[in-house]
Amino acid sequence: MNRLLIPIVLLAALVVVALRADRPQPKADLTFANLSEVNTLDPQRMSWMHDLRVARILYEGLVRNDVLSADFAIEPAAAESWSVSDDKLTYTFHIRKDARWSNGKPVTAEDFRYSWRRAMLPDLVSDYAQMFMLIDGAQAFYDWRAEALDAFAEREFASTSEQSQAAEDLWDETESRFNEMVKMIALDEHTLVIKLEHPVPYFLDLCAFAVFCPVYEPLVSQYERPDPVTGRLIRRPGWTKGGVLISNGPYKLTVWRFKRDMRMEMNPYYWGKDSLALRTIEIPSISDPNAAVLAYETGALDWIADNTAAYRGDMVADKLAFRAEHADRVAELRAEGYDQFSIDRLLPQDPRAHTHAVSSFGTYFYNFNCKPRLPDGRPNPFADARVRRAFAMCLDKKTIADEIRRLGEPVASTLIPPGSIGGYTSPKGLKNISDANNEEERQAIIEEAKALLVEADYPQDFVVTLSFNKDAGHDLIGQAIAKSWQKNLGVQTQLNQKELKIFREDLKNKQYVTARAGWYGDYGDPTTFLDINHSTDGNNDRAYNNPVYDDLLAHAARELDPTKRMAILSETERILVEEDLPLIPIFHYATIYMFDAHKLTGLSTHPRTKQNVFLFDVLGDGIGPDLPRPMKPASNEHTGAQP
Amino acid sequence: MIGMILRRLAFLPLILLIIYTITLALAWAVPGNPLENPDKRPKPEVIEQMKKQYNLDSFPRFYISYLDSATGLRYGRDWASGRLKNDRERAEIAGFPPPTRPVFDFGPSLEYDDLTVNEIIRSSLPVSITLGAAAILIALVFGTFAGVLGAIRPNSWMDLMTLSVSLVGISLPSFVIGTVLLVVFSLWLGWFPVAQWGTLRSMVLPSITLSLPFMAYIARLTRMGMIDVLGADFIRTARAKGAAEHTVLLKHALKNAFLPVLSFLGPATALAMTGSFVVERVFTVPGIGQHFVNAVQNGDRFLIIGVTLVFATMLIVFNLIVDVLYRWIDPRIV
Repeated sequence: MNRLLIPIVLLAALVVVALRADRPQPKADLTFANLSEVNTLDPQRMSWMHDLRVARILYEGLVRNDVLSADFAIEPAAAESWSVSDDKLTYTFHIRKDARWSNGKPVTAEDFRYSWRRAMLPDLVSDYAQMFMLIDGAQAFYDWRAEALDAFAEREFASTSEQSQAAEDLWDETESRFNEMVKMIALDEHTLVIKLEHPVPYFLDLCAFAVFCPVYEPLVSQYERPDPVTGRLIRRPGWTKGGVLISNGPYKLTVWRFKRDMRMEMNPYYWGKDSLALRTIEIPSISDPNAAVLAYETGALDWIADNTAAYRGDMVADKLAFRAEHADRVAELRAEGYDQFSIDRLLPQDPRAHTHAVSSFGTYFYNFNCKPRLPDGRPNPFADARVRRAFAMCLDKKTIADEIRRLGEPVASTLIPPGSIGGYTSPKGLKNISDANNEEERQAIIEEAKALLVEADYPQDFVVTLSFNKDAGHDLIGQAIAKSWQKNLGVQTQLNQKELKIFREDLKNKQYVTARAGWYGDYGDPTTFLDINHSTDGNNDRAYNNPVYDDLLAHAARELDPTKRMAILSETERILVEEDLPLIPIFHYATIYMFDAHKLTGLSTHPRTKQNVFLFDVLGDGIGPDLPRPMKPASNEHTGAQP
Repeated sequence: MIGMILRRLAFLPLILLIIYTITLALAWAVPGNPLENPDKRPKPEVIEQMKKQYNLDSFPRFYISYLDSATGLRYGRDWASGRLKNDRERAEIAGFPPPTRPVFDFGPSLEYDDLTVNEIIRSSLPVSITLGAAAILIALVFGTFAGVLGAIRPNSWMDLMTLSVSLVGISLPSFVIGTVLLVVFSLWLGWFPVAQWGTLRSMVLPSITLSLPFMAYIARLTRMGMIDVLGADFIRTARAKGAAEHTVLLKHALKNAFLPVLSFLGPATALAMTGSFVVERVFTVPGIGQHFVNAVQNGDRFLIIGVTLVFATMLIVFNLIVDVLYRWIDPRIV
């Protein structure tokens, strides 16, 4: 019998020993769910929204967006001032003398040159390498390096030591080539001069993008060595660990336990540390949306940055019911100019009010394959813009937004969310049955669409396939679209649900007729949306090719006058959403936050959906000013803070 | 016995090589470029560079280069050529700890840029082993107990009750049980924390959820074994010589009835200790189970191979341990 106890004793001992090893840490000043585990803390390698959100806590670029201002104004960050030459090509940044890394060393112009050079190396394969190609000489440098690496791979070497030496030599040459070719000059420790290839009106907004943040060369270069066999820089992970990472932002990383938690503390050398109202920030890694909501409800979280629980539609409905109970007060506050979070703060406390739908810088749409022939060789009816227009007019967008999504998302008639980019006027967009005020108008739109199909000689026996991946309710949206096309246009449809990876491959290879899609903008300029329809763009899944559209984009890139440039871009989008319709905008996304507006302040309601966590203040915790931080009016008309 | 252990261990590398080859071939067939952020596609030349970086453009090159680093050959070469020493000296001059290089390098994670597969396994496997050990412990104690109770009076209300509990344990999926436990005990009663790991309290609900299917199976196995054994001659002999009922049950009967449970314990322990995707997700446990699913979804080829090799190794090792225990508990087996 005693022998039978052996497995039990062994197992029990194991559990006890393992549990002695680690204890949870004390609660941080702010705990929030980022929903996805961080993919990387290397700014030049980032592309995910949840990574960029953390990067803005740890790193600081030359400038940043004032996310609490109505126009998302550019404000000084690591650079205290800057000037732009008259031809809009040369930018001179003056880096503040008190900008410091988290080890106390000064942040210099050289740090930015080193970091941006990383992004321009083909070895590092930065997703956003393209953004750096706006700098004069960057593209030539990238191409040179890529060719040199290919040539290296073909070379024969007598011995491995010779090959290893050649790899080191190639790297030395790369460094000097960068200095010669790329027009990024450090005039002195604190002055950085950047020359662009052509004027880029949104260049400062790009500089505020986290991918443009600096990394600490003495640390990072330890982990990046040329590989003796291929000559490429090999990235060894390790410098982004808690306690190892050196960053220049408001906070420094103290703990990062993979899939478990991330903890940050105030950077004691940060130039603006007096304005910070949180000493510690904790980001537990919670990948299940339901677990995140439960954790919020038990008080373990202060903020959920992206609530994707399947029942969030019901939570939004509860919030609307709460707002309806206080309709008069809400209207009053809105008239006084309060933003949506301030209104929640001024209404009575209620758990239903903790759900917030925030308009986002992204759009859900359906793609048309615009190629003249379909993958199976048949002629493609959707190569004709009239057919695409007819289908776009008869898609019932309102039903999708109001009855399927139920997140208070606005119906979209343009690709770019209106009002999200200062100085840009959105086109009206094509008429749609959702806009009809009555049944008569609706019928008129349908008749017009049917006439377009007749005019374009649309083959009535053609079966329109709608492709989508099976997750996140895309199937319900697909069904609704198929239904509205069947009912209104009398066409035949077929739903084609696919596994995500396959779906993406099909999009890339244009193996579809119509397919669901979405796009989030990266920076505050219309081109962040419009470029994806350029005939040569890597994200042009539609194979849309209109020389007029391409020309207008090129024309806008040459235009120096900002007002005229925006007018050209507006015309470009008009062609897209009123005439050609390679895609049908359906709704603009909303992001669902969970937080208590009575407790947490400093969140932006701007449709660019960028939160700077270092601006947050937990009200009543005795740290920081403990005063509400509402949205400010556009910075050029500052009238002081709201009451 | 030692000969058997050595023989079995000698086969381990060969088995792992076969598993590696099959896993890689399957992982290679998954479409898509694992290095891309699916929503934002870089230019084609950048995609080209991405693939070259990790030999993802050529199956044979990947196959060889992975074996080279996973078996420690690459480390050996770099050590012999003095490259390791050079890197260490450079780091010392700069005043930073040198990058760590494991001898057996399972490669980088393609999805989590800042981590190696070694690090992911090192941080998540201990968590899963702890949780798995607790779950098997619960399953073993309560499962055996329930099985014995059922066997003493077959078809009594006690037997029916353990049967129905077992049925629930086997047939209800763990995301249902887990969520119910979470809502009742964490949200309503507030006894246990949500989305936390590291304390005994935070382990209670996930280990119970994870143990239920194993518990149910062990209960059925024990009951069957006991009913069989209780009818045997030597039990009648034991009773006839006047042994106390609990001695008969525990010493004579259970020892023999336990053998099928023991052989089930090998694969069960390996399975429990390599984590469960569902339990880890519901309770936010940072274990290794999630990577079996996520790595495939993300096409993270290095990680797929890494976790598969870990699972295979655990399965082989635990079966070996069970075989050793078996011989020890029941000397009749040679």
